[in-house]
Parts: sequence; C-alpha cells; structure tokens
Amino acid sequence: MKLWKKLSMVTVTILSAATLASGAAVIYRSMEYNQRKTIESSERQLKSIAYAIGKDLESGLLQGYSGVTRNSYINFVIKKYGASEYILIEDDQVVCNLTPFELTNPEDERWGGAEICSIIQSRGEQYILISGKKVPVVGKVEYKLVLVQDISELYGDIRKQVYFSLTFILGASVISVVLIFLLTKRIMRPLRELQKAAKEISEGNLTRRANVRTKDEIGAMAEAFNSMAGRIEAQVTELSQVSERRRQMLGSLTHELKTPMTSIIGYSDTLRNVNLKKEQQERALWHIYKECRRLERLSSKLMSLMGLYDNDSICMEEVSMKELFEQVVSLEEYNLKQKGIRLESFCTMGSRQIDRDLFESLLVNLIDNGIKASSEGTVIFLTGQDNRITVRDQGCGIPADEIKRVTEAFYMVDKARSRKAGGCGLGLALCSMIAELHEAKLVIESEVGKGTNVSIIF
Amino acid sequence: MLFLHVFCDKIGVKWGGCVLKTNEFIRTNAKILVIEDDSSISELICMNLEAAGYKIVAIMDGAAAEAFLRDPEHEEIALALVDVMLPGKDGFALMEDLQKEEIPVIYLTAKDDVVSKVHGLKAGAEDYIVKPFEVLELLVRMEKVLKRTGRGRAKIQVRDVVIDLLEHSVTKGGEKVSLKPMEYELLVTLAGSKNVAFSREELLNRIWGCDYMGETRTVDVHIGQLRKKLDFHDVIRTISKTGYRLEDLD
Repeated sequence: MKLWKKLSMVTVTILSAATLASGAAVIYRSMEYNQRKTIESSERQLKSIAYAIGKDLESGLLQGYSGVTRNSYINFVIKKYGASEYILIEDDQVVCNLTPFELTNPEDERWGGAEICSIIQSRGEQYILISGKKVPVVGKVEYKLVLVQDISELYGDIRKQVYFSLTFILGASVISVVLIFLLTKRIMRPLRELQKAAKEISEGNLTRRANVRTKDEIGAMAEAFNSMAGRIEAQVTELSQVSERRRQMLGSLTHELKTPMTSIIGYSDTLRNVNLKKEQQERALWHIYKECRRLERLSSKLMSLMGLYDNDSICMEEVSMKELFEQVVSLEEYNLKQKGIRLESFCTMGSRQIDRDLFESLLVNLIDNGIKASSEGTVIFLTGQDNRITVRDQGCGIPADEIKRVTEAFYMVDKARSRKAGGCGLGLALCSMIAELHEAKLVIESEVGKGTNVSIIF
Repeated sequence: MLFLHVFCDKIGVKWGGCVLKTNEFIRTNAKILVIEDDSSISELICMNLEAAGYKIVAIMDGAAAEAFLRDPEHEEIALALVDVMLPGKDGFALMEDLQKEEIPVIYLTAKDDVVSKVHGLKAGAEDYIVKPFEVLELLVRMEKVLKRTGRGRAKIQVRDVVIDLLEHSVTKGGEKVSLKPMEYELLVTLAGSKNVAFSREELLNRIWGCDYMGETRTVDVHIGQLRKKLDFHDVIRTISKTGYRLEDLD
C-alpha cells in the first residue's frame, strides 16, 4: 500500500474514532443533564404542590364531610393544582387519580417518604417519571402525593440529537477523509518526485535532479539527494573523460607502435627470407636497431606518463625556483652547445610547493622542444616571475590551428621532422599532465616563423 | 614414384592453368610507385621490391605524390603502394589522381579498422594490406593485382634464362628448354619473386593448389628437375629450415 494511503487511513480511523467517542460522551452528558433538570423541576413542583395540598387538607374541613363530598373536595383540590398529573393516596388507598395511569403499588413506602423519591419507568416508547412524597398534614390520616409525568419527549429529543450528531459526524468524516487523502497525497508528492528522479538516474539519466522546493524534511532530503546526484554525475563525467582520453591515447599508441613494428618485422623477415646485397643487409640491420631504439624511447616516455596517472608517486616539497632553474640550465648545457643555441635564465620567484623531479622534467621538456624548433644562433629565454614560468624560443613556431592539439598524446605537427629529432609526440602531453598535477595551466602561444611562448601559470 | 609425380603434373595443369592467364596488355619497364612517409618502411618496401626485380619510384608525402601524378611527363607506373596517413594529402584523397592515371592502387596502412578498409576498397583500391605485413604476402598480392589489371611482366630474365610469360616458353642462351607444366609454374613463381625464399608448403599451395594431398617431397623433386634442366644448381638455393630461393642480384 502506498505511504500516503496508509497515512490517510490511519489519520481517518483515529479521527473518526475520536469524533464518535467525544460525540457519544457529549450526548450522554447532555442527556443526563436534561434528565436531572426535568426531575429537579418535577420534584420542585411536587414539593410546593404537596405543601399547598397539605395546607388545604389540614384546614379540617374534611372532618365533617361525607365520603362523596370529601372525594369531590379532594378532586377539586387536586384539579386546582395540577389537573391530570397527580395521584393522592390516603392511608395506602388511592383517593384521587386523575392521570391516565394506574398506580399498582399505592402502599409502597417510597411514595411516603419525607424526601421525594423519583423513578423513571418505561412503557414501550413511553417514558414516565413518577415522583412521590408525603403530604405534610397534621392529623392521624397519612396522605401521599404522587406526581406522574410523561417525559417521552425528553427521550425523543435525545434520540433526535443522537441521529443528528451521527449524521453530522458521518458527513464531517466523509469530507475530512477526502481532504486528508488529497492533502496527504499533496504532501507526499515531493517524495514521489524524488523517487522518479532516483529511478531516472539509476536508468542512466545522470543530469536529472529532484525538483522539490518544500522546506520540510523531504525538501532537505531532496537537497541531499541532488547534491549526491551532482557528485555522482561529476565523477562519472570525469571517469568517462579519463577513459576517453585513455582510449584515444591507446589508439595513438597502437599506431605509434605499429610503425616501428612494421619496420622491425619487415626488415627481419627480409633478412631471413630475401637474398640481399651486403650493404642492403647492413641497412636492414641499422633500421632494426633504429626502430628498436624508437620503441625503447616510446616505452620509457609512456612509463613516465603512466606513472603520472597513479598519483601516489608524486612528492610535493618546498623547492626554491632559483635553484631549480640553475639545475635545469646545467642539464641543458650540453644540448645547447651542440646546436649553438643560448639559454637566458631569469628568476624572481621564491620557493613553491612542487615535485622537484617532475617539474625539472617539465622544464627540460619545454626547453628541449625549444631547442628542436630553434636554429643556430638564436636564444631561448627561461623566465620565472610572480606565478608564471615562461619558456620562449625564436624557432619555427606552431601553426595557429594546431596549437590546441599539440598537448594531445602522440600529436606531432611535423611528423617527419619530429621523428628525425627523436620525438615520439609525448613530450607536451607529459608537460601538460605535470602542470595539471601542480594545479597549473600550460598556455602555448605561437606564431609561425617567429617563435613559441610556453607558459606555466599557477 | 616418378609416375606419381608425372600424374600429379597432369592434374596440376588444370590448377596451374588459371594461375597464369594471358596478359593482353603489358607494359614493360613500368615502375612501382611507393608513397609512404615513414622513411624506414619506405626503404623496406623498396629493398624488397628491388630484390624481387621491380623498379621503383618512392615518394615520401602526399603533396609530392600529387605533384608527381599531375606532371604529364611522369614515369610510367604499373602499380601504386599507398599509405593512408600521409602528410600533405592522405592516401584516400590521392585516389582521384591515381585513377585518372589508371594506376591500380594497393593501400598499405596501419589502419586496420573495417571502416577504413571498406572505404579504401570502395574508393577503388585493388587491395588493402594492413601493417605490419609479410614481405612475401605483399609481393604475392602485388603480382595478383598486376596480373588482374593486365600489367604483369611479359618476360622475366634470370641470368641467361628468359621466361616468356606470354608464350609460356623458357629459353636458355637462346635455346628452348622443354619444361613440364608444373616445372614451369614453379620456375615462374620463384623467378617472379626473385631473391625471396618460399617454403615448400607455400610452393605446394600456390602451384599444386591447396587441396593437393601431396608431400613436400614433390616440390623437392621438381626443384631438382629445374636445377638439372636449366643448370640452376647455384641459382635455386635451398634455404635451411625455410625452403627455396631463386637468387639473382644485379
């Protein structure tokens, strides 16, 4: 059963029970009250009439009268006070009864007490209140006065009231059931929305969020849910990006591996099966050697790139940039001398939290790239200022539409040239990876023929 | 034993008959155009083709290849081996120029996905070879394409022996040598890819057909016959663990 239905059912049941119980209690109380009031007023009436009748009977007039006269006098007296409601008993004998009822027990002591005694007697649909009292008369004759009143009306009223209350409660219950159902459903609507959102997300729609604006617990839950979904989406996106990057890299890698493999397999196969001239044999061997070296270079670059993917090997420490620059300059000295290129280094940066080895290889890579692009007699500048390290060369530059792609693994602007210089298209991919690990950005600006400007911006 | 081999030869005629169809259209001296940007692979191909007796024009990039093809004075080309990923202009884009010149094309590429293969073949390539490739496979496929397009060689010369592929005749020093059909096929196969070693199984498959139930000894017997008839004792060499090779370096 749905939660909103359960909640509504429980509420409706409790509400109906409570209304019925309290209605019953109220009706019972009011019935009791009315009854008491009626009895009280009857008793008051009986008391005063009994007193008055007592006075009339006391006057002694009865003494001398005959039986018939006496009776008609008594009749007269009773009629005077209350017509058809009284029964007068004289020494346990009914002497006057103007009521439509007959008293079956005139000798009963209850009617002769000094205090009034009342009972209610029901005869079918009829309810009769019978009250009795001794008439205070001085003399040896004992009179009892009994008041008989039909109080069916009182009970009729109560019944009517019960009927009315029941209809009222029923009506109110029906209305409240409908209202409760509607309201509960409405309150539960955010929960349903939340459920729908969760379902859609589980089906793969990661951009789905729960559209819940309520300020209650469900709202808070939706908020927590949304932030969870956001987190998952971000992570999944990142994961898929990483796997896409890896897939691309793997594709390029296969191609990069295939080229030297083709040469190695081809030449060795040729050496095995083909009758070659001596110098051709030597060329074939030289090609095999050269391609193997290329593979070896590729694998070592790849190893370092893979190493960067597992971040555990990174060790950040406070390194003085000035010292690092000096170190890099001394590392590049030989290469520079070989190609007749000058390196100008300038640093006003303090120290920074970096991985010394990785950062060194980043700078060396960038300067190596500069050297490969530059011709003899030019200068490469290595500057470090504020939060920016720049390597600027006066080399051949990179065409504008290729700048974006040069940091992709295995991307080479000029394949033949790059191969000749011993490149395998991984240098800048490595550089941008290292920069990324240092939360820095690698910015490449270049103009064909004028030179390239590579900046690491922290 | 000998009878068995003669018998086999007779069956073999049937198989061998379709290996060599008459070439209606033959260009001699036509060269093979090799368009490949990786210098060592280019050299590898050239080395093998030269050894097998082909003449070669090697071009290292797409733009230069285009320029070469558009030059009306360019050398006659019998077949082009084209890499797909080329600097300047890629191999698929070169197809138009190659077709204008009526040059059959074999793509030779590291791209081994089906989409590229289908694209290459649909564009009109005769064949599609994925790197890394076997030298022998390349030579065989080239030969097939050349024959199919009527560009096979008319004559093959090995020292003083001339094989006339049109007349199916063999002369040594001007004198006609009588060869049995299977001996002729064997000679053509070996001489067609000079300096390249064939295994016995390879030869058996190519000449006798793959459902021939003979032994590799059959090959040895025929090689013996060829050596004797043509005095090729030092020309057809036995390569240990491999098979036979017809050696003839310029």
